Amino acid sequence: MSRGNPTSSSLTPTDDALIAAIRTGDERALAHLYRLHWPMVSHFVLQNSGSEDDAQDVYQEGVMVFYEKVRDGSLELSCQIKTYLYAVCRRLWLKRLTSKSRFGVRLLDDEEHGPYLNTGAEEDVLAAEEQDRRFNTMSEALNHLGEPCRSLLEGFYLLDKSMQDLTAEFGYTNADNAKNQKYKCLVRLKKLFFAHYKEEPI
Amino acid sequence: MMTEADYYALFEAYADGELAGPARASLEARMAADPDFALRYADFTELTGTLRAYRQRQQAREQLRGIHAAMLAAETPEAAPAAEQPAKLTHTVNPMLRISRTERRLREFWSGHRATVGVAASVAVMAVFATLLGLDIWRNSHLPTPSGYQALRREVERIKKSQKDLKLTLNTQLGKETAPVVASKFSGTGFALTSEGYLVTSFHVIQGADSVLIEGRNHQRYRAEPVYSDVKHDLAILRITDKKFTGFGRLPYAVKSGQADLGERVFTLGYPREDVVYGEGSLSARSGFEGDTAFYQVSIPVNPGNSGGPLLDERGNLIGVVSGRQNDAQSAAFATKSSYLVRLVDSLAATAKADAPYHLPRYGQLAGSGRPQQLKKLQDYVFVVKVYEKD
Repeated sequence: MSRGNPTSSSLTPTDDALIAAIRTGDERALAHLYRLHWPMVSHFVLQNSGSEDDAQDVYQEGVMVFYEKVRDGSLELSCQIKTYLYAVCRRLWLKRLTSKSRFGVRLLDDEEHGPYLNTGAEEDVLAAEEQDRRFNTMSEALNHLGEPCRSLLEGFYLLDKSMQDLTAEFGYTNADNAKNQKYKCLVRLKKLFFAHYKEEPI
Repeated sequence: MMTEADYYALFEAYADGELAGPARASLEARMAADPDFALRYADFTELTGTLRAYRQRQQAREQLRGIHAAMLAAETPEAAPAAEQPAKLTHTVNPMLRISRTERRLREFWSGHRATVGVAASVAVMAVFATLLGLDIWRNSHLPTPSGYQALRREVERIKKSQKDLKLTLNTQLGKETAPVVASKFSGTGFALTSEGYLVTSFHVIQGADSVLIEGRNHQRYRAEPVYSDVKHDLAILRITDKKFTGFGRLPYAVKSGQADLGERVFTLGYPREDVVYGEGSLSARSGFEGDTAFYQVSIPVNPGNSGGPLLDERGNLIGVVSGRQNDAQSAAFATKSSYLVRLVDSLAATAKADAPYHLPRYGQLAGSGRPQQLKKLQDYVFVVKVYEKD
């Protein structure tokens, strides 16, 4: 991981450069960002009665929120990346702690990370939770779909296989047959997905 | 009639931009005209969109997991190869780079239970201090405290009426040469020690005194000054400084240098109020408050103002100086033994001025006569000691 200028990346100009690089799909930039802020979050979680694994989960979740927003281009950063990540991870860890603990939870904050409120992290975390729920429903729906539909759709959409490969794999006579089968499967998936997804309370 | 699957084929082609111009235009027109149809397309895009996003999410997760693993590997380059080597090497080669499992567990425990441990510790500390404090208070409350002892000087301020009497007497006796009288702050009793003008009273009566006035039964007033104080035995010796003072004459009582016996009938004269008050009882112990051997305990009812009064036995010998009483005991008064007074006078006589030598009365004149006769002679030698303090 040798980025040109890995020094003091918490400053806004470098933040901008980093975000731009991540948006273009530069994996090294993402890795750099990941390594840069890991100590902060891991320290925070360890300090607030979490384990190393908890820290990793929370941090990956947090970076995921950030990463998806960057890729969408919907990230509106009003503060440094560092502060944003801290706020997101703080929110995520607080949520986990409250669900685990019978008592009220108070977090020990690192003062140096400044005001973690009003960073927009709250809404972003809520949106990410909504997205999570959608993915979970999708995964459920795929599981309920049954074979061969599930393998076919997973192959096409999740594993990125071409129709030709899938035709051969599932033994269809030609690609058109496979495609028709795929569409039928999609219709069934749609019914399952929306039935579950819309029925659940928001 | 097209099935839903057919529509999906159409949608997919449209979404991928593979639809030819006319077909595309008719599809768009139909979506614009038919809301149900548009909704169906929206569902399709949401479904495929979700599937794609799901895939992206999974990919990103993989990516992050990879980054994390790479980071950990970069952070601890020794950890990976060390795990493959025999166990003994990891400890001997790199003893410092690894945190032992026990320490790791301890650290995890600490970070997890820090708050609880802190609360428990502070509760324990508080409990310890509360116990210590409680024990201390308990023990103190069971000690006989000196607050049971009351020195008997009298605060004159309380009785305003006396002011008027005083002023009246002054005007009739001394004319107008004296300035308006300042109210005295405390008063006690004092009695003549020698015929030359030395008097005895209790130290606590004149404690903090700015000036001292002696007033006799016939309202004769003299200015006096403290000559010597014995704080330990609560004695003070005053000398009358007034020029018009000519001497007491022969004193009717002798000062006893030995100790008085238990059970002796004793009496005292004092000024707990404006008039002289007689008190009688017996010598009930030869030690005073908390076993102080410099004092007698006597069963005479005494009141604030009695302090400094003479304590005499039946034959009219001075055996003590009334000093205080115990609040929580029935009529337990205390008086300094006269032997201490004699010793004090002896030590002072050596350094006394030539013009005012100490001549203690050696023989009393009271023995044998009845109590009223004794008192008649005595009361000329017992005085009110009035103490003025600077404001």
